[in-house]
Amino acid sequence: MAERMSALSQHPPSVWRRLDPAAALGRLSESRYWMYLLLVPSAILILAVVLYPTVYGFQLSFRQMRLNRPDLGTGFVGFKHYIAMWSDKVFWLSLRNTAVWVTFAVIIEFSLGLVAALALNRNLPGTKIMGVLILLPFFLPNVVAGHMWALLLDPRLGVINDILVRLGFLETYKAWFADPSTALGAAILVEAWHGFPFFALLLLAGLKGVPDDLYKAASVDGAGPIRQLRLITLPMLRSVIAAAVILRVIGLVNSPDLLLILTGGGPGQSTQVLSLYAFQKAYKDFNFGYAGALSVVMFVLLMLFAWAYVRVSKVNQD
Amino acid sequence: MITTSRRARLGWNIATYAVLITLTIFCIFPLLWTFLTSLKYEADIVTQTIQYIPKRITFDNYVAIWTQSGFPTLVFNSFVVTATTVVLCLITGTLAAYSFSRFHYRGRGALMLGYLVIRMFPAVLMIIPLFILMRGVGLLDSRFGLALAYTSFLLPLFVWMLKGFFDAAPKELESAARIDGCTRLGAMIRIVLPLARNGLVATSVFVAIAAWNEFLFALMLTTSQGSRTWPVGLQLMVGEFQLPWGVLAAGGIISIIPVMILFAIVQRTMVHGITAGAVKG
Repeated sequence: MAERMSALSQHPPSVWRRLDPAAALGRLSESRYWMYLLLVPSAILILAVVLYPTVYGFQLSFRQMRLNRPDLGTGFVGFKHYIAMWSDKVFWLSLRNTAVWVTFAVIIEFSLGLVAALALNRNLPGTKIMGVLILLPFFLPNVVAGHMWALLLDPRLGVINDILVRLGFLETYKAWFADPSTALGAAILVEAWHGFPFFALLLLAGLKGVPDDLYKAASVDGAGPIRQLRLITLPMLRSVIAAAVILRVIGLVNSPDLLLILTGGGPGQSTQVLSLYAFQKAYKDFNFGYAGALSVVMFVLLMLFAWAYVRVSKVNQD
Repeated sequence: MITTSRRARLGWNIATYAVLITLTIFCIFPLLWTFLTSLKYEADIVTQTIQYIPKRITFDNYVAIWTQSGFPTLVFNSFVVTATTVVLCLITGTLAAYSFSRFHYRGRGALMLGYLVIRMFPAVLMIIPLFILMRGVGLLDSRFGLALAYTSFLLPLFVWMLKGFFDAAPKELESAARIDGCTRLGAMIRIVLPLARNGLVATSVFVAIAAWNEFLFALMLTTSQGSRTWPVGLQLMVGEFQLPWGVLAAGGIISIIPVMILFAIVQRTMVHGITAGAVKG
């Protein structure tokens, strides 16, 4: 053993440094392309696991691909799926439901989030802990959130039904998720609970950046709290609001999780939204081509919205 | 907000407390009710008149979910997937965040935006090809494959949040180390990473919570007990066995305990990181 050690140490030190991977990486870090090299691992991962599948998905929407009908092959079918969509009633219904779902959820979440942020920003004693508790729902999993509310709103043993009946708002217990006229509304309530802390979080951070002097000047000029909110707070928060709304809309349009857990699109198709419909086309009917086309349409609509929204919120600035 | 008269201020204070207490109850009540339900006997859950305060308490539901189903396996799988995701994010994301934070070069802004745009791609559009792809390379229904998918869509958030923490670490110490003969890599590992320790922990926790909670990708990309995570397992149990409410509630409480503990430990740094990224970006 000792002999081997001495034999090894006879090699000139420069050879050792070249063989040592840590030293090699250290020397690599002195290269002028180091900043790009640092991006390589993450870029490879993103290209392979996000970008490639997305491009593949676009391409899929022009192809026939039904896992349960291998006899149909996987040839190109051009715009067949897109044309089929035009006369697909469920597509139009889920488009409408998506609009309702996103619009109302964002409005409610923004309003609750703004109220929470304004209240928390006053930093009254004892409100810190409430700030933490208010943020909590945002970090809870969809699966648990969904089942918690399913229990609260249950037609037989739901405590919300019980409270509403006791207070006289309801005659009898109501099956919120089984009635097509209330199912989407109930789902929006659950989503609002889950998502409003996100707005509270971002708006609170934005409020911290508004200089106090503005409020002092405004109150010297005799502006009350409501006018201060309208003339100072909201304009100062514009970019935070824009960012929060865009991020939330993307999240709401893209993820079918909560509706999948709460209603599965039913009763009938009354809570069917685009993302869920595409998902079910893929994994219930195994019609990957049509599901691909649905998600492409969803993606394009989302991009159009984001583009229009950014434009409108910039135009207002001038 | 500054109001002139003392009475008006008192009024606003009362309104503030009223709003915050109402919102806190709104946020916490479902959680509290689930916890109470998990402690009740099934006979006390399915009753004519609802018991607000349980008359008797039992831990049978916890025992049932833990012993009579594959729940421990599910939790273990989730743990492995989450840990793998965090490690992958730490290795690849830290390097990228460091590059964005410390160097100024052509295309930096565009690249940073590119990382963010990734978040806009619909999961559904991505999942179908990912399913085909992973089946092709034998990563379908494997914990590593799932962690790979999580890493790819959590990386953008990880990089943006961590960049903020790196930006806040002073550059002078790093320069001093470079003068003393440290390589760039050495300076990053010995100086910058220890300085941004809290940020690294908070960002990792954020990613860990997201991976632990994720449902849709796990539902699609896992098909057997060997790699299935707890959200999928719990959801399938509800469908297959008509899981009793008490047992379901116990499962929910068990699975959110890690989230609540992690959140409680790092919530201040984490919240700071999320908001700093959003406000600046």
